[in-house]
Formats: sequence, structure tokens, C-alpha cells
Amino acid sequence: MSSLSNLLLPAVLFFVLGVVARIVKSDLRFPPDLAKVLSIYLLMAIGLHGGYALANADLFIALNSVMWALIMGFSLPIIGYVILLVSRKVSLLDAAAISAHYGSVSAGTFLTAIAYLDHAGIEYENYPLIMLAIMETPAIVVGLLLAAKARQTIAAREAKAGIVQDATDDIDGDDNSFGHLLKDAFTNGSVVILMGSMIIGAIAIPSSMDKLEPFIEEIFMGVLCLFLFEMGHVAGQRLGDLRQVGVLLALFGIVMPLIGGVIGVYVGTYMLGFSIGGTTLVAVLAASASYIAVPPAMRLAVPEANPSYYLTLSLGITFPFNVIVGIPLFHKLAQVVTA
Amino acid sequence: MDRLFPEKLLNIITIDALEGKLVDSFRKYGASGYTVLRAQGEGSSGIRSDMTGFDANIMIKVIIPPDRLPAMLDSLERKIKKGHHLTVFIVDIDVLSPEKFDERMR
Repeated sequence: MSSLSNLLLPAVLFFVLGVVARIVKSDLRFPPDLAKVLSIYLLMAIGLHGGYALANADLFIALNSVMWALIMGFSLPIIGYVILLVSRKVSLLDAAAISAHYGSVSAGTFLTAIAYLDHAGIEYENYPLIMLAIMETPAIVVGLLLAAKARQTIAAREAKAGIVQDATDDIDGDDNSFGHLLKDAFTNGSVVILMGSMIIGAIAIPSSMDKLEPFIEEIFMGVLCLFLFEMGHVAGQRLGDLRQVGVLLALFGIVMPLIGGVIGVYVGTYMLGFSIGGTTLVAVLAASASYIAVPPAMRLAVPEANPSYYLTLSLGITFPFNVIVGIPLFHKLAQVVTA
Repeated sequence: MDRLFPEKLLNIITIDALEGKLVDSFRKYGASGYTVLRAQGEGSSGIRSDMTGFDANIMIKVIIPPDRLPAMLDSLERKIKKGHHLTVFIVDIDVLSPEKFDERMR
């Protein structure tokens, strides 16, 4: 399948339409919370579907997938952090916040990849779905650790330069304890819906699942179109902030998913032994950047970082790049590697 | 009008993720209650459109007796020093039944 045919998937076309609507300043306005409702539906449907399929899963492969999801979730932000530090384009704390986004995942990109594979009639394993749920969290932990390290470095530098910081005592008790943020990450809405739906899908009576077929299968692609339409609109909005981000940092938004995608193809093929379809999904997971779970976590825990940087990179650059270029590219790469 | 009593109305515009922490301070520094409204807008840290829930803003309104205000403002100032973006402004208001605002939140 050529990359052009990916562009002609209705869901991707709607994404582009959303971007265009924003660029031409259309008065199109989505009702508040529509995207939230749609993403709840999408996660629920894919969770039920995947859980049903995973009921007979091989426990060893499932655990292996979880392990590799954790390894990628912990290591990708560190790779991103190092690249950002070398580029010297952003402060240490900005680098920590941005790289946390790149270790986490985007469900929207994953769903688009599923649409792409379904459309092309390519089979895929359901294990990447577990990885999607697992990979939301580790990057947040790494982001917090990197930020803590960055603060130490900055404090040491300032102490050297003779700048005395007044101690910001935690009188209000609102310094984000590690455990507290971890709990927030694990109980994050999308993780709960996805994990919960997978469990329901796995344990529910199969005949009762048949009744859900129209809900899970038949309207899925239509809802995905609506969702991507709105996401296109949101991404278009972020394009305006590109000037603030600058060319070099914008390049990071493309280079990082490429690195992640290559790592994902390697892990999918050699470590997990997935088919081309499954490997493509792992690559998409590794390449995508979060825009739902991580931004609020970083806002709270790393308030010093500039949110325009990480939101513009993850939503304005990496998300469109993956949806339009990344998915067919990683599929091609998976084909080449498998061959 | 002698049936009206002076109070302070504290307004805070910030990200929705901070709501829990702010409510904790309201409780600690003696507010009687608070009201949260959803908000959208744009500022130095970029646009907050509240379109998909990941960039939602809130506006919180708290009526507080003037003598409890300084401690509350100190707490907000500490948050701003940590890097959080808070827009804080105070309005002098008159209220009916001031005893309602003396009672602390549970």
C-alpha cells in the first residue's frame, strides 16, 4: 500500500479537513467536550474488542509485551532528553517536560494506525493494545525524575554564581509527591477506560458481546472520523504557535518519532516476534507523543516549563506527522525488516 | 444600606489541573466555599481553548472575610513563585447574610 492511499483514508482526510478549517478561520466550532466523549467511546470500543480477542491470549507474550512497553516508556524520554540537551534549544526543565510527552503514547495515532491496517486488510496482534495502556505512565515518571535532576543542576549553577534562592518551603503541602503523581497517572481516565473495557471484553459472556457488535465495530470508523476531524482542528490551532517554537525544535517533533518508530519496529519484530501489522502498531506506539495524559501532569509537576513548547510539538507537529507520514512509513519499514 | 456587609471576592483564573490544590488552600485558609466556572482564553503561555479537555482553564470565585484574605494571598503567591500561572484579582463586594461566609468549609 502506498503512502498516498493512507492519505485517502476518510479518517485521515477528515483530520486534514479539520486543519484546513482552522487555517481558513472557519467559524466551525465543536461543542465543548465532544472530543472527550468521542475518545471515551473509541477507547471503550477498542478495549472491548481487544479484551475479547485477548481472552485466549498467550500469557508469556502478553507479559513480554508489558515488559517491552515499560522498557520503551522508560527509555524513550531519556533519548529525547539527551537530544534536546545537545540541541541547546530549550531549558533543562523544558527538555524534561517535552521528553516526557515522547515516551508516552497517543491513542488517536494508534487508532488511526488500526484504521490503516484494517483498510489494507493487514492482520495484527492485539497485544499492542495492552502496551498502549501500559505506556501512558512510565514516561511521566521519567519526566518527573528528569525535572528533579534539572532543578538540582539549576540550583547548583545558581549557587555557584552566588544567587541565593529563598527557600520555597512547602507550607501548602502541594509539592507533588511522587506517589501522588503516580497514582494520578495510573488512575488517569483513559487508562481506566481502556484497561476496564479490556477486562470486561475478556470476561463477559461471548454471546452477550455479539449484541455489542454494532457499537464496537460498525460505527467505529465513523466516530474515528469525527474525532480526527476535531483533532485536526485542535492541531491547526497549534500551528500558530510554531513561530514561537522555532525550526530546530520543530525538527525534534519529526526526528523523535522517527527514532521511536525505528526502535518500535525493532522491538516488534525481533523482541516480540509480531507480524508486520503488530510491528507497525508497536512502532506507532513508540513514535507517538502524548497530548492527553502527560500535559496536565507536566503542568502540575513542572510548572516552570513552557506549555506552548510541548503542546505545539506533540499536537501541532508529531501527531499530524505520524497520522499522515509516520504510519505508512513504519508499515513499510516493518515490511522491509520482516523480509 | 445597613443590611449589606463588606466582603472580598477573590477571583482566580488558572488551569483545571490546579483545582484540587487550590481547593485545599481554600479549606486551609478559611474560605466558606467556592464556585468553579469553566473558562477559555489566551495568554502568555499560549491558547487555552478547552476543546478537548487537555487544555481547559477554570475561573474560581471565593468570597472570603477581609481578615482571612492575607494568608490566602500568601499561599497563592507561593504557587506563582513555583511557576504556576495564576491570574488573581480581588473585588470589594457587599453581601447579604455575612454569617454564611464566616463559616469555614468542612
